[in-house]
Amino acid sequence: MHPPLSLIWFFLTAGTSIGLFSFIYLTDFLSLFGLNTSLPPNMILFSCVISLVLIALGAIGASFHLGHKLRAWKAIKRFHTSWLSREAVFSGAYGFTLLLYGVSYYFNLHPAVQHFFGISTLLLGWLSAFSTAMIYASNRFVLEWNTSLTVLYYLNMYLMLGSSAFLATAYHYKPELIKPYLLLALLFVFLGLALRIAFNVRQFFLKRPTINEALNLPHNRPVKVLDTGTTTNNYCTEEFYYRRGKEMLSFVLPLAYIFTFVIPLMLLLYSLISANYKYAFYALAYASLFVGSALERWSFFVEGNHVQNLFYGLYPEEGYRLRKGYMEKKKTKISLRS
Amino acid sequence: MAQFALVIDLNTCVGCHACATNCKEWNTQASFGPLSDFDPYGREPQGVWYNRIMTYEVGEFPNTQVFHLPKSCLHCQDAPCVPVCPTGASYKREQDGIVLVNYDDCIGCKLCSWSCPYGCREFDEADKVMKKCTLCIDRIYDETLPPEHRKPACVLTCPARARFFGDIEDPSSEAYKVIKERNGFVLFPDMGTNPANHYLPRTETKVHIDEHLLKPENPLFLEVVQRHYKGG
Ligand code: SF4
Ligand code: SF4
Ligand code: SF4
Repeated sequence: MHPPLSLIWFFLTAGTSIGLFSFIYLTDFLSLFGLNTSLPPNMILFSCVISLVLIALGAIGASFHLGHKLRAWKAIKRFHTSWLSREAVFSGAYGFTLLLYGVSYYFNLHPAVQHFFGISTLLLGWLSAFSTAMIYASNRFVLEWNTSLTVLYYLNMYLMLGSSAFLATAYHYKPELIKPYLLLALLFVFLGLALRIAFNVRQFFLKRPTINEALNLPHNRPVKVLDTGTTTNNYCTEEFYYRRGKEMLSFVLPLAYIFTFVIPLMLLLYSLISANYKYAFYALAYASLFVGSALERWSFFVEGNHVQNLFYGLYPEEGYRLRKGYMEKKKTKISLRS
Repeated sequence: MAQFALVIDLNTCVGCHACATNCKEWNTQASFGPLSDFDPYGREPQGVWYNRIMTYEVGEFPNTQVFHLPKSCLHCQDAPCVPVCPTGASYKREQDGIVLVNYDDCIGCKLCSWSCPYGCREFDEADKVMKKCTLCIDRIYDETLPPEHRKPACVLTCPARARFFGDIEDPSSEAYKVIKERNGFVLFPDMGTNPANHYLPRTETKVHIDEHLLKPENPLFLEVVQRHYKGG
């Protein structure tokens, strides 16, 4: 699939916004139970502003994916069937209640009001994240995406971005929180790594449809694409098959792994083990996660193979096969004319 | 409930692209608005087409067969492109099962094209909306046209008469009959889309050499004998 930059941008901004807000609010919420976790109001206000700006930037960026931005409001109409519609509604509502939460905090309204808005924002934020993930996971025609791993990994990425952004913020406002949250951040990055590996490994074992199934022909007859009707690319070949991306994937995916997991893990682990709680570690970890996640989302799109490519002979043949108990890699051959 | 559809005979389709060309011609001028072309005289001419013809070869040499597969929106009975549309711009008509896009509501998010396993929707970069075969809804209901012309443009133009149109739920329609009589099949049946458009499978043709062709008076006698015995 062709990776849309606007959607990658939305992922990064919404992910940081929702992730950061969740840590801020939940931490403050814990103080209701007599724990010493109440945050300085400045920290909450600062984070609210950051989250609000980010989700607004995300929405503006995502609108570039649309052909008609001014009609975007119409995307609320099919809430009962469309995950995209749900995403639009929930992320809009999230931004709105986030604003209300910030305002209630600024004017120091009754705590009940503050927490009402806080809980609503938290809920709406995660509903919006879940809806976004479901847009991909519910697509039956891109087998690489069509799994609950897509959703789990997606939500965990929000937690990765949020927890590292939280560490960088807490450093300035409430440093005593760094130690426990460092562990949490580490946990999410580890979990992310495990889920991403599972996501990649799963692709090897997918039972892929063949061109015979697409054309509804007997399975034992070889089929060759002779002609796709036009001499150049068209919408279908460009949207669903990104040739340059496929070539670059073997280079970008390892980079994504390094920036998303290896570098943040090393930084956070070092900080934990050496008890050296420096701001630079958290800022760098977040920056690395940001860059890595952008590359990771790019790879996610490029890794996705849409079954319509079968008609063009651009679908990977059965790439990996289990034989005699070990995994043997067969060269994945994708060609227009063989 | 009615379900209008096309039925395409793969025995007779010669891959001449007349249907695709006439589809483009009709739909570029008709009530659904233009199908844009980009760089039409350049090295990479691209454009929006409702109907594309692919050519495939089946079997192993020397026993191969080539067939042409015209592919336009199949007006699926369980169309997965409809529920994903966030604006309701993509919809399936109750009265005749035709799947359409309302260009005034489409925000161009492309999600419907991601949800079509056949690659039958195309995004028009000029209008910034999603487009697809309308089953020539503006022809088939046009009462100013003579009744025999109230058919899709691609059906009327096909020189090989490979295309049939009708209500596949109505036993008296031509489309229903050919599907039943000649084992019509659909593309990608496993995708759970239940396409309305059907294809008629290739049938094997056997040629019997008549006795009189093998008479020595036949001026082609030598050739017939040679072919017969060489299995040509
Ligand atoms: S062929 Fe594709 S665009 Fe047409 S109805 Fe089926 S899923 Fe939708
Ligand atoms: S591109 Fe248009 S028709 Fe397709 S899902 Fe988006 S809004 Fe609906
Ligand atoms: S039915 Fe009409 S719109 Fe559809 S492929 Fe034929 S000519 Fe084109």
